[in-house]
Amino acid sequence: MAQTQSESVVDLVDVRKTYEMGGIVEALAGVSLSLSDGSYTAVMGPSGSGKSTLLNLIGGLDTPTEGTVTVGGRDLSTATETELAAVRGSEVGFVFQTFNLMPRLTAVENVAMPLVFDGWDRAERRERARDLLGDVGLGDRLDHRPTELSGGQRQRVAIARALAPSPQIILADEPTGNVDTETGERIMGLLEDLHAAGNTIMLVTHERRIAEHAERIAHVRDGVLERVEEVER
Amino acid sequence: MDPRESVTIAARSIRSHKLRSTLTVIGVVIGIASVVTFATFGASVEAEVVGSIGESGANNVYVLGQPSDEGGFGQAAQPIFTESDVSNIGELDGVEAVIPRGTVQANSVTYGNDTVAIQQLTATVPAAVTSDVLVEGRSFRPGANETVLNRAAARSTFAENVTVGDQITVDRNDASWNLTVVGIVNGTAGELPVGGFGPQPSVYVPADPFYNTVVESPSANVPQRAYPQLTVVAEPAETLAVTDAVESYLQTESDARQLAPAGVDLVARTSGDFAEQISDVISQITRFVTGIAVIALVVGAIGIANIMLVSVTERTREIGIMKAVGARNRDVMELFLLEATLLGAGGALIGLPLGLAVSWGAAQYADVGFALAPFWSALAVLVGVLVGVVAGLYPAWRAARIDPIEALRYE
Repeated sequence: MAQTQSESVVDLVDVRKTYEMGGIVEALAGVSLSLSDGSYTAVMGPSGSGKSTLLNLIGGLDTPTEGTVTVGGRDLSTATETELAAVRGSEVGFVFQTFNLMPRLTAVENVAMPLVFDGWDRAERRERARDLLGDVGLGDRLDHRPTELSGGQRQRVAIARALAPSPQIILADEPTGNVDTETGERIMGLLEDLHAAGNTIMLVTHERRIAEHAERIAHVRDGVLERVEEVER
Repeated sequence: MDPRESVTIAARSIRSHKLRSTLTVIGVVIGIASVVTFATFGASVEAEVVGSIGESGANNVYVLGQPSDEGGFGQAAQPIFTESDVSNIGELDGVEAVIPRGTVQANSVTYGNDTVAIQQLTATVPAAVTSDVLVEGRSFRPGANETVLNRAAARSTFAENVTVGDQITVDRNDASWNLTVVGIVNGTAGELPVGGFGPQPSVYVPADPFYNTVVESPSANVPQRAYPQLTVVAEPAETLAVTDAVESYLQTESDARQLAPAGVDLVARTSGDFAEQISDVISQITRFVTGIAVIALVVGAIGIANIMLVSVTERTREIGIMKAVGARNRDVMELFLLEATLLGAGGALIGLPLGLAVSWGAAQYADVGFALAPFWSALAVLVGVLVGVVAGLYPAWRAARIDPIEALRYE
């Protein structure tokens, strides 16, 4: 156990999450899962299965009702709000279905934003953001605002932003849900490149075709991890 | 987080709603400008009035009877200061002169063919007409049928201007006096500084022989002239000592002490005392009016709070994004607080010069010298910034507490 922990970036042990929404809703009913360093995991399940809750818990957007969530050696179940913010800012990078870019900021400013909260100075932030935008193929769109970019370009800005603080893990929540199939394939290609470069990735999707880009697929249903399937190449 | 970045972000969100931000700032501008205007104009009026009192006889000590239950400077006009008091006070150390002052009843005053209803003449002593106040001629002599007029009486009361050497006739119930005008003055020495700001026509006559208000002096046991008010002219730099000496004489030895009706205090006042009293009254009025202006400032603050709450709601999703990329509650709070503070400070920055300009204009219009109220102006700016902070606190706190998951789902 100690050995797997040393290799793993994320460890979930018997995690439960219940919400009170006019009665108690059990979103996760005891899930244990480890993500090892450099792995690429897809979480699949129908809507309401608890897959987004899983992602939110790993990303420090939420805390478990029971069990422990360890990210980069830090137990999030007992973390304070400020510690959770630090995890969100530097341990994980989110890529959302709806991109979630700041509408009034340019591409560079959006990518640099996590670094603002991480205490980088201005010149370094901009340089890092430019480099990352170059890496995702947007070197010529640095000062465009989100409204001036296509869906695929926006998602690439979002990916660059997720990478900015060099996080332990990238959490992608239906990253291709709002773009056409062709663009979706390019986004998936980009994630594969990141994986090849050694990043740990967790992808949440309800599409098998998308999930198959990962090394393994964790099937979630009704708040329970049903099985973990290795993807054959 | 990087303070410069905070300012950039806050300024950007202010700029992104130009009209809304402008209207909000205008609210604060109006509040701060009105506070500065009223405070500064009040200070100008106060400086003007107090200054004019200070000029009129810094060496004068005014002796009068004052109702003890009145805080102000109402004077009891009973004739209680006898000739004995006048001469005793005149012998105190440091006293240059004692100028008694009383009124003589009349029916009318005639010059040439023009008869005017002037019903009070001022009886005083020749020393009241000093070279400082003389515009023309000389003072009257005691016992002579002579008079001195002020400029209002000489220039604008009768159909024709009165000049030195002319005759006027004073009509009374029992007699009529033909008096020669020997001097024209601009006020007289020893006049109370609160005697009125408008130039009332005044006719001055020698107390001897025209002032006939007489009481039995308790100390001399003979009938003597008695006056309602005395002015003691002190030697320069002796004013305070003289004030004390006169006070002590009044309380222990004076005739006035025995003649004064119950409930009347005998007081010796310097022009500084009067200046202080008037300045108190003016600053009370100023504070009151400024207090009303503060209401405008409160309204401005509510405007900021209102717009910030709208802004928090509108930017719920942005707050969620910021939190998802590592913003702490504190960072979010800081950003919104900064935005509100910038609105308040912007209002203060525009409101202060505007208020000063308006009060300068008001001072010109009212023909008083312009005086700054630095304390109030500084306070107004500080309050402007503070208004932003206070008005921003609750919206910023709401923003900071937004749940990032909810916020990211928010459309």
